[in-house]
Amino acid sequence: MTAQIAIEKFYFAYKATPPGQVVLRDINLKVDKGSFTCLIGPSGAGKTTLCRAITGIVPFYMGGRYAGDVKVLGKSTKGQRVSDIAMHVGFIMEDYESQLVSLTAGEEVAFSLLNHGFKPEEVEKRVSWALEAVGLPGRETYRLDELSGGQRQRLLLASTLAVEPELIVLDEPVSAMDPDGAQSLYSLLASIHRRLGTTILAVEHRMDFLLPYVTDLIALKEGELLVADSFDAAAPVVYQDAELRPLLPTLWQMKLGLEERLGLRLGNWRSEEEAVEDLKRRGVRAKEGTGHVGS
Amino acid sequence: MDESKSLPPLEEVEPLQEGYRWVAITAMLFAIGIILHTVSPNVGGVTPNWTIAMYSIVISMFNPKLSQAVGIGFIAGLTLVPSSKSAFPLGNIASELSGAILCCLVVKAMLAAGLGEWKLRPLVTGFLATMASGSVFTFILKLVLGLPLSVWVYAMLPVVAVIGLLNGLITFLLFAPVKRLFYAQEGRK
Repeated sequence: MTAQIAIEKFYFAYKATPPGQVVLRDINLKVDKGSFTCLIGPSGAGKTTLCRAITGIVPFYMGGRYAGDVKVLGKSTKGQRVSDIAMHVGFIMEDYESQLVSLTAGEEVAFSLLNHGFKPEEVEKRVSWALEAVGLPGRETYRLDELSGGQRQRLLLASTLAVEPELIVLDEPVSAMDPDGAQSLYSLLASIHRRLGTTILAVEHRMDFLLPYVTDLIALKEGELLVADSFDAAAPVVYQDAELRPLLPTLWQMKLGLEERLGLRLGNWRSEEEAVEDLKRRGVRAKEGTGHVGS
Repeated sequence: MDESKSLPPLEEVEPLQEGYRWVAITAMLFAIGIILHTVSPNVGGVTPNWTIAMYSIVISMFNPKLSQAVGIGFIAGLTLVPSSKSAFPLGNIASELSGAILCCLVVKAMLAAGLGEWKLRPLVTGFLATMASGSVFTFILKLVLGLPLSVWVYAMLPVVAVIGLLNGLITFLLFAPVKRLFYAQEGRK
């Protein structure tokens, strides 16, 4: 597969980082085209900084000290303007409200298109397409304060989608959402991923929402790369790290725990139904009323 | 991060955002300054000059080039002309130019003297900028109205000094929150 993101021997320190220290150290990883990658790590692991590096904001916009190279869509971010990278890479920040700049939903989606020089008739077409794609059809004239938090997040996704980026980077996109909203946003992202083949990279603390869709996993710890591989291969590596283990989907913590304790080799579960089916097939039954399992 | 592990030579990159950020912040603070200038009551003939406090914050925060400080002072003066109740509103342009230039020179001198982290730096810059601006403005008034020198020295300058102290205090109190607000995203000092 072609790598959409290729990071080689990347080190980075912000201007305010004390000399001799770095925020990211010796990062080497690849993200394949068409993958749905989840980036995990404890607070302060460098996840946001890595997202910023992929979008060129770090180090070329914010400044700092760096070594190595970040290639996005085959081109180094060095020497490219953040706005040029934004033509191909959509970025939804953790503080998504700070990215909303217009009065109405239609203007919001049109803003990035007009800044990229699209013709008015093309803008109109893309605005209605993008709003429909995120489940907000016909809301062009709605004021932003008439939209709920979840709808505003969808609107931001529409603004990102409207320029048809090849890659979308999301930094904790559902951190302020309830479980239903989070599930709905990830299901929407998954459908965009399937329909348009867009590569998705999402920073997420609650991986349960992503489990049905995730293809690859990147884990960072204290600014260093712990693992970057397919989800099925990377999850057991993450499980071995006591600090990172709780970041795995609950179902996989259970699966890997069972495998470790019982010496079993269970299937690569993506849903509770799959897990129940797999366990039943292996003759594992829940003892009624006890919550215990026995075979 | 573990400091024991060796690092390769790191390339230093200057932040591109600073090229535009100071302009946006200056405009925003001026807007706030004009609103406060309009609504602030006059107590015993003394009103704080919010505009001076605002550009003192900007200059202290960004240490702009002298030419940029001239621009800041000129715009500050222009914003004060329409709402000025003085006998010679255009005097604001000359006075704010003087205030911004002096503020810029004081900031540069303090940074050169290693006083960049001194907490009272905004108080001093706010006070001195107001003294420079106020002195020039009142001297222009003295010339326009044909007042004797003693009126300027004994009646006008003491009022300027009081407003200077007030402005220094405002600059000092607002500097830290404004800095925190604008640098919050990247966790910079």
